[in-house]
Amino acid sequence: MVKQKKLSIFSLKTSIFFILTFFLIILYFYFSSYFEVNNVSKAYITNQGDNTVSIIDLETLKTLKTLKVGVAPLGITILQKKKLVFVGNVGTDDISVIDAVNDTLIKTIKLGTAPLSLASNPEEAEIYVTDWFQNNVLTISADEMKVTHRLKVGVTPSGIAYNKKYKYQVITNRDANTLEIYNEDCNLVKKIETGNHPFGVFSEGDFAYVANVYDDSVSIINLVDWSKYEFMVGAHPYNVKVHNKTAYVTNTIDDTITIYDLGTKKIIKILDTGETPENLDFNIKQNLLVVTNWGSDSISIFDTESFRHIKEIKTGSQSRSFGDFILQ
Amino acid sequence: MKKIIFTLLAILFSTLAFSHGPTPQKVQESVTIAASPEKTWEALKNYSEFEKIMKVRSFKDKLMKAKYELIKTDVPFSDYNAQIRVKKGKNDNESVVQWTARFYRTYKLNPPIPEGQDDATAVAAVKEIVGPGLVGFKKSVESQ
Repeated sequence: MVKQKKLSIFSLKTSIFFILTFFLIILYFYFSSYFEVNNVSKAYITNQGDNTVSIIDLETLKTLKTLKVGVAPLGITILQKKKLVFVGNVGTDDISVIDAVNDTLIKTIKLGTAPLSLASNPEEAEIYVTDWFQNNVLTISADEMKVTHRLKVGVTPSGIAYNKKYKYQVITNRDANTLEIYNEDCNLVKKIETGNHPFGVFSEGDFAYVANVYDDSVSIINLVDWSKYEFMVGAHPYNVKVHNKTAYVTNTIDDTITIYDLGTKKIIKILDTGETPENLDFNIKQNLLVVTNWGSDSISIFDTESFRHIKEIKTGSQSRSFGDFILQ
Repeated sequence: MKKIIFTLLAILFSTLAFSHGPTPQKVQESVTIAASPEKTWEALKNYSEFEKIMKVRSFKDKLMKAKYELIKTDVPFSDYNAQIRVKKGKNDNESVVQWTARFYRTYKLNPPIPEGQDDATAVAAVKEIVGPGLVGFKKSVESQ
């Protein structure tokens, strides 16, 4: 009897030991994937003045690498799931494709025309590129790594955004003061007037947001009933993006960001940036706002909850990153 | 001679880097002045020479930063905006004045770009304003 009791206690201890070990192994695998380099959020900054892309780790806030790309890189977009970064080089008329796992250049796609801005369609793994000089929007297939379609659009196509809800390509025509909306069959859905000199564009849900450079304003366009309204920002706004029902706008001449509450329709904050802030993007996990400063060759990082300035980091010459430039 | 080499390099660089695309050009030059940043900033605000070519957009005292736009129209560049900043030098009686200009060439359509309307011409013309401008301002402050 006594022997048997001892045996059962021993087996109970053994089983607890094994169960604990099992859980520890599970926990180890769960967290080890969390700490992998591959999952670090990074900012990719196109430096038009020195033909490079600065890659910045958004956890340590340090530059990981400076990658040589084509000549005069400007536009950028990222396919998040595929971890591919597309950079448009206006000097060499091509697209540099960066593998964001190892941060190496894996492909150069020849366009034969200058790419101004880029947007991505994650469902189809397609990249859309505005061609300023020949008034086209090119489609690049990320699987084939080549141009698969050319769509003739209105004059001076500049900014481009992809609206997931309606599968629309939304394009600003800078010198015509219009916004063009194309559906997935490449048919023009609507051409609508904007303010003077529309450049950067963002589109999400039922709306498109356009920065009107010469009017110091942003137009908000309803994609359902085509109604619109404007709000004033700082001098020469270049781009606009929306995060948590709040619009963020870069004011290139004021060296500031206007933060506008879309619910109350009021400016809630104006933040000082580096010199000539052009573009912006968000790190969702850590609530970071990253702004590229063309004038001071740097990026400014802010907390989107407290609006506190966290750090200014030196990049290459003439940092621009026109498009989505943060790997989440 | 130095100037010729510099211009040639500027032309070479510009044709290499910016033969296509509506790319903003940048000229950024600095000068060290033997005066405190406060004195230099006050002098800048009262300096009339710059206002013969540029119109003041704003003076930000806290940041010691002045913003300008262009008045002149007969120039081989367009969409010019500039800022002049006063920063601390190596000691209390030294300041660094930095002039950053952003502009485009005059021709913005498809290549070929007509002579005299290209990036190199625009950059050279802005350098002709910025370089001597800073030298003149330094003389003015240091002689006060």
